[in-house]
Amino acid sequence: MSKKDAILEVIYEAIADLNDDKSEDEKVAATMDAILFGPESGLDSLDLVSLIVDVEGGASDLLDKSVSLSDDNAMDQDPVPFTSVASMLDYIMGLADEK
Amino acid sequence: MCRPVLEGEFVRLRPIVVDDANITLSWRQSERANLLNDGAQTLDQQERWIAGRPASELNFIIELIDSTPVGMLSLIDVNHTHRRAEPSRFLIGESVLVKGIPAAVEAMLLLYRYAFDVLELQRLYGTVTEKNKLMYKWQRFLGMKEEGRLRNHLFLAGEFQDAICLGLTYEDYWKISLPKMNALIKAGKQTN
Repeated sequence: MSKKDAILEVIYEAIADLNDDKSEDEKVAATMDAILFGPESGLDSLDLVSLIVDVEGGASDLLDKSVSLSDDNAMDQDPVPFTSVASMLDYIMGLADEK
Repeated sequence: MCRPVLEGEFVRLRPIVVDDANITLSWRQSERANLLNDGAQTLDQQERWIAGRPASELNFIIELIDSTPVGMLSLIDVNHTHRRAEPSRFLIGESVLVKGIPAAVEAMLLLYRYAFDVLELQRLYGTVTEKNKLMYKWQRFLGMKEEGRLRNHLFLAGEFQDAICLGLTYEDYWKISLPKMNALIKAGKQTN
């Protein structure tokens, strides 16, 4: 499995965990274009934080380095990393490629 | 203790009043509240509960800036000798209305800011049932640290559950809570 696929799997697993407690019409799509934050998102703050915590934990374990989606570096990104699955993946890939 | 109105950019916290009994009762009876301690069962009980809040508590309604009530949040057992208190009864009752808005995080920020910066407390603490993973992750993300576990401490939803003890010091608030909360609110401003 490529690094990209492994990170995507971490994100999708976090979404699946979040969806466990949701009704069918509330479930978040585990797709690259899923919006996670902002007016088009179906998540409230508690859901979003749960997702961020799980992805940070999973990605940190996977990459064997600390991954934060809400530190100063992350918040300087436009869009911020937790806006969508795609932005989350891009940001973590960038961290993975850092020396 | 005075009963302040705490203004944010997305929400405000205003003191709960007896007229809030109907909506708060409906929130407390929703599925989302089934991991909170038992509350009033009737409107009359809820009205009496609100009217009977002691001076050591601050009980707020979380409302959007257009004054739509969306949840509740309290600061209880405020102790000025030991300079500590317990954030409690945190419940977003109108989850659909706050999707995509950092309403919950700003409500917590307003409460923490008032507790630490205005009341000059040194510590906030509380417990969360082990089953409430969403709330546990939420509190940890916002800076609370796990300080212990009370086995079979709660009887909720028909079973005994462990309570996880959490605590937040003034230093944690500055170093961990504020940056995380401000980050989410900043992101909210970019997207709304």
